[in-house]
Amino acid sequence: MIDQYVESISTFSGDIDNVIWVVFLIVGFWFVLAELVFFGLIFKFLAKPGVKAKYVSGERPEEKRWVTLPHYATLAFDVAIIVLAIKVWHDVKIDLPKADSTVRVISQQWAWTFVHPGPDNQLDTPDDITTVDELHVEKDKTYHFELTSRDVLHSFSVPVFRLKQDAIPGRIIKGWFKATQTGQYDIQCTEICGIGHGIMPARIIIESPAQHRTWNQSNAPKVADAAPTTPPTQLGGMP
Amino acid sequence: MHRLMSVSLAFAIVASFGCIRPEGAKKTLAGSELYAACASCHGEAGAGNASIAAPNIAGLPAWYVEAQLVKYRSGIRGYHPEDIEGLRMRPMSRQMMDEAEVKAVAAYVSSLKAVKAAPSVQGGDATAGAGQYATCQACHGDKGQGMDATKAPPLAGQYDWYLVSQLKKFKGGVRGAHPLDTTGAQMRPMASMLADEQAMKNVVAHIGTFSR
Repeated sequence: MIDQYVESISTFSGDIDNVIWVVFLIVGFWFVLAELVFFGLIFKFLAKPGVKAKYVSGERPEEKRWVTLPHYATLAFDVAIIVLAIKVWHDVKIDLPKADSTVRVISQQWAWTFVHPGPDNQLDTPDDITTVDELHVEKDKTYHFELTSRDVLHSFSVPVFRLKQDAIPGRIIKGWFKATQTGQYDIQCTEICGIGHGIMPARIIIESPAQHRTWNQSNAPKVADAAPTTPPTQLGGMP
Repeated sequence: MHRLMSVSLAFAIVASFGCIRPEGAKKTLAGSELYAACASCHGEAGAGNASIAAPNIAGLPAWYVEAQLVKYRSGIRGYHPEDIEGLRMRPMSRQMMDEAEVKAVAAYVSSLKAVKAAPSVQGGDATAGAGQYATCQACHGDKGQGMDATKAPPLAGQYDWYLVSQLKKFKGGVRGAHPLDTTGAQMRPMASMLADEQAMKNVVAHIGTFSR
């Protein structure tokens, strides 16, 4: 359902969609029921000629259960949601599967710098490939990312992965993802980070193994030239 | 409460437009309107802000401001992963929707009253820097006034920390290394002639003696 609006292309994006869907159904059911009861009671007890209004203290058991039963139901559904959410949280944020590769994600006002491990698949070696606003990854490969910030709070968000992680200056935050489909998708900052917050988009390019090998070989060990450029004549405001 | 709701609704509508101007909106904004985005870092008067590494741009020639904005917009400047301040300017430069708006904001910046930035770099020897400035003088003028013919901007009045940082960037290939940055390519060997940071401080201290 949600993937009809935003594609779902990571191994855990479906689990997150399911949590959102379950929360929507539970909250939606109770919302509709509560509104039906609310308006039902309003119409049932509309002012009638000759009938005097009376004060109901709500202390009798048959009155109290209008509060206690929904209360217990809310608690029960809350526990169910929490159990489901914690399982997904654990799988997405806590239990990092073994990485096939690691990339470094550096956020700053108002750009993303990505350090790829290059052909040797090791960071901090001479063949690392550094790009600005463009992250290249391989489909069906588990990536760890090391997220940092050069200045203020940012948030690394890849909507199609259902991935969102705050970046905090002075900390290296680790996370993971595994793309299930090739293509080019948005990377956003989802933490207000200054006047340029809304104009720091980047792209994630998910490639097949052959495409990624070619990209690695053709870009390593160039560091400075990997950022995409656009001729001035083709610019028309926001990219 | 109604007022608060109206204001919130107005903000929500404006936010929903983002940077896309709706049909019927003014197509080209005036330089003073566009400058509102620049002012948050460079200040209303264009005098810059050392705490966020924003240089003094008040009164810079329009051709220079325009040329730099075009470079930022096209990724010729502010493209290097280590150019932290340049990477900040790149998206900001893309707030202008077209060439006419770039020219308009450049003209507005140029119209701002030029001010001389206060010195802050310690340890520079202006006398020693005078000799080294002889190389710069050919393009930037004997008083750092800049020269249109050589596409060299004024240096007089600029923050000393900014000039030192740009010399380091030119020397380190963080600025001016893009194949299409022809004027930057001219600066790179010039900056490389300064042996170390002390030499940079010296020449910048000499530039600090020029009046704006």
